[in-house]
Amino acid sequence: MNSKSVYKVPNGKLLKINLNYNEKTKNIETVRITGDFFAYPEEAIELIEEELKNVRLEKNTLVEKIQSVINEHGLEFIGLNAEGLTEGILMCLK
Amino acid sequence: MTEEWRLLLTGANTAANNMAIDRAVLVVNSEGKVPPTVRFYEWIPPAISIGYFQSLEEEVDLDMCDKHGVDYVRRITGGGAVFHEHELTYSIVIPESHKEIPKNIMDSYGRICGAIIKGLKNLEIESLYKPINDIISNGKKISGNAQTRKHKTVLQHGTVLMNVDVEKMFSVLKVPDEKIRDKLISDVKERVTSVKHVLKKDVPFEDAAEAMKKGFEEEFNIKLIEGELTEEEIQLAKKFEKEFFGSKEWNHKR
Repeated sequence: MNSKSVYKVPNGKLLKINLNYNEKTKNIETVRITGDFFAYPEEAIELIEEELKNVRLEKNTLVEKIQSVINEHGLEFIGLNAEGLTEGILMCLK
Repeated sequence: MTEEWRLLLTGANTAANNMAIDRAVLVVNSEGKVPPTVRFYEWIPPAISIGYFQSLEEEVDLDMCDKHGVDYVRRITGGGAVFHEHELTYSIVIPESHKEIPKNIMDSYGRICGAIIKGLKNLEIESLYKPINDIISNGKKISGNAQTRKHKTVLQHGTVLMNVDVEKMFSVLKVPDEKIRDKLISDVKERVTSVKHVLKKDVPFEDAAEAMKKGFEEEFNIKLIEGELTEEEIQLAKKFEKEFFGSKEWNHKR
């Protein structure tokens, strides 16, 4: 199942998500994160996209997973954060 | 003694060439071979640059670009799509460890934007920094800015709008819904201004560049000495233009 969302992060930037997921398991197959935010280093976004494969589409699971990748690799986002990214991804289900 | 930085006036170039030069200066500065560098430049043909994380085909109407002879390129910096036509573009490349550069990324945006704000003041335009990455005058955006940090080096580039043609800008940008195109155009007209609009006269590029040069000198207590790209920078820029900014693979990667 493919679905897209556009989400304005509160006090942040415009996030656009293109999500492929398994309807039965509610697991992410692939996710494409685009938008006018900033991330340091920039390549971090590809890493997060990779790490989100097979992760369950559930709020706490996603926030924890994204936050752990951010912490582990010392990433910095501006205009976006783990909660905002999670919100944008879950919006694809609505 | 006043520290001396390099000033580059590279004139007008293609989008791919401009982005390749910024990246080449970043790499060569990171190797300690050139001093901190400020560059002022323009774009011929007019071009759209998109942020590193944006989708080219979602943001840009490529058919309209071809039709109007507008160039397009993906930047190495994040941020949004920018239509570069009547504008002064600046870039600054400086080691992260330089004492004038705050370690905190947001603080460093503010500091570098301070140079542009002083430059605008030299043109008798009052403005202020509006986080995350804008400078506004009379409540309207007059400058957009984007920063990356690679190889322990800061690259920030940004625009000073000299004049703005919102209709033309929107003719090459995709809008989410054609029915609201007119509404978006009038919204942007309300939110964006330019040097010409504020001063009610045309300012030559050279005068704006001189004002910005002084702005950088005042903000960072340095002297800008006009110089040239080194041979290594020129060669590296050619390589980056071929491998990245002039390639379909790079520009269409998202």
